[in-house]
Order: sequence, then C-alpha cells, then structure tokens
Amino acid sequence: MKKKLFSAVLAAAMVLSLAACGGDTASTQTSTDNTPVVSDSTVASTDDAQPAGPDERGMLDGKFVDTRHITVELYDRNVDGGTEAGNNAWTQWIQQQMLDRYNVEVEFVTVARWTEGDDIGNLLAAQNAPDICYTYNYGQIQTYANMGGVLDLAPILEANKDLVPSMFDWLGDSVIYQDLDPNAGTLWAIEGKRNEICRINTFVRKDWLDTLGLKEPTTKAEFEAMLVAFKDNAETLLGADASKMVPYSISYDVGWRAATLIESFMDPAITDKEYYVNGYDDRKFTENGTKEAVRLLNKWYNDGLIWHDFAEHSGSDDTTEDDMIKAGFVGAFTHNYDYPFRNGKDSINATLAAQYGPQAKFVAVNCFEDKNGGYNKYSYSNTGDRKVFFPATNDEPIASLCYLEFMSQAETVQYLQIGDEGVLHTVDAASGAIVLQAPDDAHHDWYQNSGKNIDMTINCNGLRLATPELTTLSLAYSYSDVDPEDVKTAIAVASKDAQIPPTPSVGDIAAETEGTDLAGKRDQTYDKAVVASVADFDSVWDQGMSEYLAAGGQAIMDERAAAWDATYSSDNLD
Amino acid sequence: MAKEKVNKTKVVAPKTKFNKTYIKRYWQLYALLLLPLVYLLIFKYVPMRYIILAFKEYKLNMPLRDMPWANVKGQTDYFKYFKMAFKNPDFLRALRNTVKLNLMDLVMGFPAPIIFALILNELRFSKFKKVVQTIAYMPHFLSWVIIANLVTTLFATSDGLVNNIITRLGGEEFSFLSIPSHWVGTYIGAGVWQSFGWGSIIYLAAIAGINTELYEAASVDGAGRFKKMWHITLPGIKPTIVVLLIMNLGYIMGGGFERPWAMKNNLVIEACEVISTFVYKNGIQQLKISLTTAVGLFQSVVGLFFLLTANTISRKLGERGIW
Repeated sequence: MKKKLFSAVLAAAMVLSLAACGGDTASTQTSTDNTPVVSDSTVASTDDAQPAGPDERGMLDGKFVDTRHITVELYDRNVDGGTEAGNNAWTQWIQQQMLDRYNVEVEFVTVARWTEGDDIGNLLAAQNAPDICYTYNYGQIQTYANMGGVLDLAPILEANKDLVPSMFDWLGDSVIYQDLDPNAGTLWAIEGKRNEICRINTFVRKDWLDTLGLKEPTTKAEFEAMLVAFKDNAETLLGADASKMVPYSISYDVGWRAATLIESFMDPAITDKEYYVNGYDDRKFTENGTKEAVRLLNKWYNDGLIWHDFAEHSGSDDTTEDDMIKAGFVGAFTHNYDYPFRNGKDSINATLAAQYGPQAKFVAVNCFEDKNGGYNKYSYSNTGDRKVFFPATNDEPIASLCYLEFMSQAETVQYLQIGDEGVLHTVDAASGAIVLQAPDDAHHDWYQNSGKNIDMTINCNGLRLATPELTTLSLAYSYSDVDPEDVKTAIAVASKDAQIPPTPSVGDIAAETEGTDLAGKRDQTYDKAVVASVADFDSVWDQGMSEYLAAGGQAIMDERAAAWDATYSSDNLD
Repeated sequence: MAKEKVNKTKVVAPKTKFNKTYIKRYWQLYALLLLPLVYLLIFKYVPMRYIILAFKEYKLNMPLRDMPWANVKGQTDYFKYFKMAFKNPDFLRALRNTVKLNLMDLVMGFPAPIIFALILNELRFSKFKKVVQTIAYMPHFLSWVIIANLVTTLFATSDGLVNNIITRLGGEEFSFLSIPSHWVGTYIGAGVWQSFGWGSIIYLAAIAGINTELYEAASVDGAGRFKKMWHITLPGIKPTIVVLLIMNLGYIMGGGFERPWAMKNNLVIEACEVISTFVYKNGIQQLKISLTTAVGLFQSVVGLFFLLTANTISRKLGERGIW
C-alpha cells in the first residue's frame, strides 16, 4: 500500500512539474508580446494641471508616465577583490538616477568580459538579449543583423532626435552615423568614442638597464643588444633564478604583443585606402612589412631572446606570463600603453616595487625605428570604439535611447569615472589635477570593477572630465599606487609619431561575416612563424598566409577595396 | 546461429508480452520509469526537431517554422550547408582528427581499465587495494581545464617541471606540447590517466560477479594465477567488455569538447582541431547555426552507423550486443 501511495505521489509530482513548465513558458510569452502602452486611465489621472497629458511616447516633461523597464549589458571581469558586477554602489546609483530622471527601471545583465561575443550570441539566439548591448566587434553585429536580430536605429534616431541632445553633442553626427549603410540606409549600431587614444608601448626594466650601465634603447639594434645583455647577465640580474630569465616576453597573440615592432616595419606614408583595405585584421597581419617584422622575432626566438614557451600557454585566462613579469623575470614586453600601471596595488610596477624597491619598474621606450627614422605606430581613432546596438527583442527603444542620453552627459561620465572626492579621488593642491585612489574598506562598494568604470560609460572609453584641459592634466594621475611621472612618460612615448587610423564610412562589407576562423588562422601563423627554424621561416609564413587568404581574408580585402572605390574618389580621406 | 540463440531464450524467459494484466501488476515500476522517460523526451527528443535547421536559413527573429529553406541566392538547395561543410578544409581536417584521436583513444584507453581491474583484483591486501583504487578514480572528477593547466605546468618545454628534471639530469628538452605528433601522445596520455581508474569500476563489479567456485575448481586442477585470469576472469567479464566496446565505437565520431579545447595550442592546430571545437568556433562564436547543425547531424548519423555495425558484428560473433 505504502509503495503504491509513494509511486502515485511521484507520478503526480511529475505531471504537476510538467504542467508548471508549460505554464511558465506560456506566461513569459504573453508578457513579452505585451508591449506596455499608455493606458487611458493613467492619462486621465494626470490631467488636472496640464490638460496636454503625455505625448505619443508616453512621456510628460521628458519623463515616462508609466515606469518602463529596460535591461542593459554589463561586462563582468570577475575582478579579484572587486564587487558583484551587476549589483554594487555604481549600478544602484545608475538605477536610481534613471528612475528619477526618466522613470525607467534599469536591470543589468552581466556577461563575462572575455567571452562576451559568445554570451551575447547565445542570449540573442534565446531571444533573451539585453535591450542595450555593446561590443567592440562590428562584424558580429552585422552577422546578427543579417539574421534579423538587430533593430535598425536610423528611423528610431530620426523620430527621437530631440530626446538625445547630449549624445549628439558628445558623439557628433560623424560618429553616430559612421556605420550607416549608404545603400540600404540602415544603421545597426552607434559607435562610441575613445577619449584616450594612446594604444601601445614597449616597456623595459629600468633597474636592469641601470645595473648593467645601459642606456634606454632607441633602435632595433640597441634593443637587440639590450636583450642579449639581459640574457648574458642573468646571473647578475636574477641570481639563483637566472634560469628563469626571459629577455623579451610575448604571448600567443603575437600580432598584439609585438605591435610596436610590426608597425615600425610598415610604411608611414601608407594611404588611407591601403590602411582600410588591410584594416579588417586589427593585428596588421596582411600589411606590407609584417613578414619582415616577424622574421626579426623569429631570429630573436632562435637566439633564445624570447620566452620559449609563449605559444604553449594559449588559454585566454592563463596568467603565467603576467606572473613572470610581476615576479621580475622579464626584461621587456609590448602591451597596452598603460599596462604596467593598471590595477593599483596589483599593477606590475607596484608589485615589482613591493618586492625589489622603488627603482624596480618598467618604463616605456621608443626603440623600433621605421624606415624614415621615426617611430611609426598607430593610436586608436578617437571616433568609433565600442558599438551599441539594440536587439530586435528590444521593445523599449525610446527608454533605451534615454539611457544613452544619460550616459552621454558629461556629469554622469565624470561621476562614474572619479566618484566622490575623498572616496575615489583627491584634488592635487598644486596643479588642480584629479588624483584617483582606490576606495578604502569602508567604501569598498564604490570599487571600480573596470578602470574608470569604462564598462558602464558605454559610449565613452577613457577619462572624460568636465573640461578637456582637466582631462589631459589628470590622465597621469588616474592610476593609483604608481608614479605619475612614469605614466606621463608612457603617454609621451605612445604619442610620438603615432598616426590616427582613418575611419571611412563605406557601408557593410558582406565578406566580413563569412570568413572561417580568420583570427585563429592569423594567430596560428604568427605563432608558428616565430618558433620556426630560420630556414623554414619563409615556407611557414607563406603557407599560413595563403590559408588565411583562402579562408576569406582575400575576399574581405577585395570587397573593402571595391567599397572604397565606390565611395571615395581619392586614396586618402582628406 | 544467432537466431537460434534468440529463439532458445524466448522459450525459457517468462512471457513478456505487453498486456494489461502485466501493467496492472507492475504499474508502480512503470510509474517510476516515467520520470527518466520524461527527461529523455524533453531533453533528447524535443530538441531533435531543430535538426531541420541544417536544411534552413537560421534567423534570430522568427520561429523555426517560418525560417526559409536553405538557398543560394534564392535558389532552394536543401543540402547547401552539407556541401559547404565538405568544401571547408577546416571541417575536413577536424573530421580526420576526430576519427584519428578517437581511434587512438580507443586503442590506448580501452584496454587500460581492463588491465588495471585485473591487476587490482589480484591484490590481496585489501586496504592497499582500496587506497590505490580511490587514488586512481580521482582524476575523473577533475575538469579538463584543470587537467590542461596541470599538463602545461608539468610538460611545458622550457619551464615545465618534467623538462626541468630531464635537463637537470643532463638530458635534452623534449617538446611534449609544441610538435603535433608529440602533442597527440600527451593528449592521449592525459585521457588515459584521467579515465582508467573510473573505467575500471565496471570491470571490478563484473569480476565480483564471477562464481568463486570456478576459481576453487581451477586451483584444484592446478591452475596458477595467470591461468585463472586468462581462463576464468577474462571470459567472465567478456560480455561487459563487448558492450563497452560497442558503446565506445558509437563515440568514434563524437567526443567531448572540453578536452581538445582546453589542451589545444596554436603550434599544433593541425592535430588538435576536432569537430566539437570546429562547431564551437563556427556555431557558438560566429553564429553559423545552420552549418554547424549540418555538421552535427552528419556526426550523429555516422556515429549511429558505427554503433549499429558494431552491434551487428558482435551478435554475429555470438555475443549479446546491447539490444
């Protein structure tokens, strides 16, 4: 009897849970179908003083009458010692502001920073993507758009331009409409702006140079001689750890981690068209000169001057190399222009100083001369950075625009970047510069999970204070726990001879959504070519390049060239 | 011969015709079966309708039934994505590697747990046996991400522990990870290491089920340990071996994603790209859903073919097969 009862209960539970499942999907379906509209009753209730009532957007005095709800993408960097990405003092501040200003409820949807593309793709496929998404990769947005997954922003902006004056002020027409397709008239994404355009630097260990009585290198030959000196004097520099010496460190992402070297081999006088045609690959893989740059790396590798195992550590969260740099085994490396200063007490320079004293640090140097004797390199373009798009499932495009407007306002950005005085920054008495600091334990909830909260200021990447002068002045002080003088040097070195990449507007390039694993093929070729024997270098490089071109690289370059010719009459923009 | 055997068992076995009395008598058991069945239905059968995506153009903004059939510039071509896959050199390479790595896994990895179980079975000191057993199971519970990191830390060419020991002893560095053929060895070795302990459980259970009188009789007849192992233990677990072999053959086109993904590196890409990583790169990362569904369907059909063939062969050879 007991057994019977038990199985009856089990069976019943199952039927119920099934029914619950069915019911659940049905109810969510109706709720998404049901776009909130202004009901007559609310119109009636607000009529006393103002007979006009809310406009056709459902807004009265720039504020929604009914509370609207939007979801916003936010990167989760899973920072050591950080706060919960989607729920901290900053997100709460934004939520409160949006509610007060527009009567819009904001819900943050966090996606892992280093797999954001995959995550957003999955959310889109599940019809579940946040109303406001952003990514660095326009090709990806175009892929979604081809599948009908993205809202066309052109008509939405056209009808609601009056709602977003700050956004037009901040970005300007040229940035907002940069991705406008000249033929179809569609606008799938609004580009953002980068307010710090410095991009890459080569860093060397200052204290090692001093110990060995060397000057900072200014040419490739001097750089190579320095690497050899590091290697030969490993005993002096590292003592018992001499066998761990790595004169020059790169990662499996060679195109990025040797970018200063690669760009020094490019012709500084390259036309805008040539730059654009080769520009799909942001690692300069197909540029003239890249092969020779990698040949030099190959020589250094075979001479034992480069980290031997760089390609074997290929996971994107493999921290082996960072750990080596922080432990003090590395003599030189190339990276983001401010890489040794990032992350306060955990920054490379702060970690080295804590172990070996304040003289132990990396400084930026210009050491890869181009064919004219300058230091050719590319900075970021000020226009065009992260791209904001609204998925097709966004049923609150107007409320979403309000969010962009809020994020474009100078005060909003400034507060998100520097917070309250005393908590996140102090003002330098002499210069008036804003000096950023990490919040103390009592204010830990104001910790910035991304530097200057760049993940939240979605259309502004980089410091943007009330005036451009204050911004420039404060930039060097915007890293806590490192010497501002080193930051100033890094900015000057990164800016020397740096060219700003052209940002043409030629419409969508269909081939960019069709290549198969181009980035993978590029990295494989870079890696294999660096570790090849000197004799095999040419064949390894040429074979990798031809596979890359055959897999879609050539088609992209051809279509880009044709699109350029169809839009511009000259090979240069100005 | 096989048919004869089937007929024989039919005569001996109790009547298993599906009738009302039978269900009435055992309805509790059927009720208990319902839950796993519902699981299979929801998570294995219902998603199968999306197989049709292999023949359609995937769209983000419409329901499955409204998506257009696969077409080239408006011309319907149901097999567009299959053709695309077989023209893609990356896919062909992934296909070759999948079969190659899985076959090597089978050759190296299949006998390992059997041998381990046989050895373990001969141990008479039971505490030692249990400790060994537990330690051997452990790697099964590690994620491949962790194992891959262990492997890199141990086997990296210049700063790996193993190579450090080799060079300190005066040997030459050995590239475990950066030369394709060496990498395959490391990959297979890591797989065997991870799974042999866990795989041996089922054989140990089968060995435990062998009638001990057989061993006693063999001892009386003067059989030594090896003779007993060869003539009693191995034949005793033969049906288990065959069933597992058939199931493993069914996986020859499959294989997990984590292991090749976590262990790959750019220098050995020609050896480590398999179908699952191809599908991940193109389907998940680039949203080429139709292409990768076609690949997945092809993979399943070939897997099914292997499974059925292996099952038929084993039945022909007088074993029971899996159904």
